[in-house]
Amino acid sequence: MARMKFLCDSDRCIECNACVTACKNEHEVPWGINRRRVVTLNDGKPGERSISMACMHCTDAPCQAVCPVDCFYTTADHIVLHDKDLCIGCGYCFYACPFGAPQYPKVGNFGGRGKMDKCTYCAGGPQADNSAAEYAQYGANRIAEGKLPLCAEMCSTKALLAGDGEIIASIYKERVQVRGYGAGAWGWRTAYRETVGV
Amino acid sequence: MSERNTTGQRRGFLKTLGLAGGAAVAASAPAAAFNADGSLGDAKPEKESADQRLAARYRETEDVKAFYRTNRY
Repeated sequence: MARMKFLCDSDRCIECNACVTACKNEHEVPWGINRRRVVTLNDGKPGERSISMACMHCTDAPCQAVCPVDCFYTTADHIVLHDKDLCIGCGYCFYACPFGAPQYPKVGNFGGRGKMDKCTYCAGGPQADNSAAEYAQYGANRIAEGKLPLCAEMCSTKALLAGDGEIIASIYKERVQVRGYGAGAWGWRTAYRETVGV
Repeated sequence: MSERNTTGQRRGFLKTLGLAGGAAVAASAPAAAFNADGSLGDAKPEKESADQRLAARYRETEDVKAFYRTNRY
């Protein structure tokens, strides 16, 4: 059985934010919610690195462990999804998640956050596949259409990989064997001389 | 006078064009839009059963195979 994973090759990510834009456009995610974001370390300094982050669909998901209404579930593809009809917007999952994946649409009266929203791995939610109800609550379901998440398919430098964990791990391994990694990567010394190492 | 008629005709044409364009957009709009508040909007609920929601959806289609192949370059 395939285990769905994201893998961001930080040696290739150029912080173009196309993955963020593609995600927002595909699911019509409004202002204020980012299911995916690009994090940059050492911004503007030699050795700067960017990595595209979203829900990592953890095997033992902390959000799932702390949810008081048990609205999370893991599919046979190991994708962590949630039921918005059960979510009470308590925010526990937000505090538990080490990646900051859960997002809330608003802060209303008495601190109400609204229903939690997060990356669905383009796999929708507990409504019928590709129904209007599913799109209204969770966005598009590309996995049911036989496709992969749009953020990965859109990536121009092929930094963001998605799909069967074993296959994308082998792709990444091949890349590292050919070009190296970090300060040993092809082109690093041309760009940064020999003074910067990662 | 004829200049005024021409202006009127042009404005009439633009108005018709605008209305036709608006109607076309309304007709091609998706049945439902994403609702940030988690509500269904006008859509009818179509809940999956407990088994359906956990079922595997991933398939190695031509699209997926092409993605794996092109990412090896």
